[in-house]
Amino acid sequence: MRFVDEFRDPELGRALSGEILSLVEPGRHYKLMEVCGGHTHSIYKYGIDDLLPANVELVHGPGCPVCVIPMGRVDDGIAIAHQDGVIFTCFGDMMRVPGSSGSLLDAKAAGADIRMVYSPLDALRIAKHNPERQVVFFAIGFETTAPSTALTLKRARAEHLPNFSVMCSHVTIVPPVRALLESPDLRLDGFIGPGHVSTVVGARPFEFIPADYGRPVVISGFEPLDILQSIEMILRQLAAGRCEVENQYKRVVPYEGNLRALEVMAEVFELRPHFEWRGLGFISHSGLKLTEAYAELDAEARFSVPGVRVADPKACQCGEVLKGVIKPWECKVFGTACTPERPIGTCMVSSEGACAAYYNFGRFAREREVV
Amino acid sequence: MSASGEHCGSQHCITCGDDGVPMTVVRVDLDRGLALCAGEDGARASVEIALVDPVLPGDTLLVHAGTALVRLGEAA
Repeated sequence: MRFVDEFRDPELGRALSGEILSLVEPGRHYKLMEVCGGHTHSIYKYGIDDLLPANVELVHGPGCPVCVIPMGRVDDGIAIAHQDGVIFTCFGDMMRVPGSSGSLLDAKAAGADIRMVYSPLDALRIAKHNPERQVVFFAIGFETTAPSTALTLKRARAEHLPNFSVMCSHVTIVPPVRALLESPDLRLDGFIGPGHVSTVVGARPFEFIPADYGRPVVISGFEPLDILQSIEMILRQLAAGRCEVENQYKRVVPYEGNLRALEVMAEVFELRPHFEWRGLGFISHSGLKLTEAYAELDAEARFSVPGVRVADPKACQCGEVLKGVIKPWECKVFGTACTPERPIGTCMVSSEGACAAYYNFGRFAREREVV
Repeated sequence: MSASGEHCGSQHCITCGDDGVPMTVVRVDLDRGLALCAGEDGARASVEIALVDPVLPGDTLLVHAGTALVRLGEAA
């Protein structure tokens, strides 16, 4: 398919791998973080880390929308789903995320009417077909899914649908990246910037990374050649002593983003003072809620929710995985008590989660030559 | 939306809405602001086009959670 096949050419991949090898300094260790879970998935799926010299380490970041949802939010969703007359809708991955006493899938098995949807528009359609029921959409994700929720809310308001509301758990990408850069746990040399988030927000929001922290950023596509070329571009910046935001994914990402998407998001959402991220704790101005104009469509105002903070299970080290401090296989429960079939932590739920990606593609041992 | 083909193999959850999928416009419904689009595997879905319109049959869109975020081949 166009825009796909030409970015999987093995010959070009080998050539890029050679370029990368020529750019690294022997004896120097490079830590590059891919922020987006989609990149993590591609890296494991295509074995991209096997094409890199041993002293180039890829660190998996917090950009999986499911992985960062704390247990308390899942409990809030389940509490709404159990209320009389409610049809609770969410993306499929979200149904398997464990709360303090089971997942939405468990709640569905216990009798709650919980339905999987592919988009918020599907939830709106369910609301139109069930006027006697209250339909709630559990909105999660970064700036890739937030415009979709915003447009759906605009439609719901324009059509005066009284039985539709949204439990808004959208988050934004820049605050956790800044939090990671402030973290003393982690020293990173550069960032593979998120591709699809950038189609919405553009490249400009990442300019603080070179400006304030002196680290290069290359916004990257998701095909194997995209990621290899982005790594090559970061290493080329480091070798030349440069430090800036570059856009490898120009075929998709305009530098200014999608202005219409930003406008509709600004109309419908505003920043919460703080929002809890799984494993990362509370981060200021990192979550979205509905503006006053859309408050009547806010499920958390329409239904009572516990709103209680729930600590992560002690055995689970998702926080360290999300911060890139440990690799998935270094977690004590990885692949034993915690598997994609029976996840304890969120990183094992979504295919974009570092643990699930690593587990699914069977990378349990590797040895590479040190350059 | 059905995430299609390569994005939707056995190792990938077919239900995750947060997955960018290229889809081709088949028909445009201007009144409703939607386009009927086909994925790589031929599966069809209604897609919100408010962020990228006007679109024409044959255009390729990057679709996230049922909403087209960008028309492929146009960014600069």
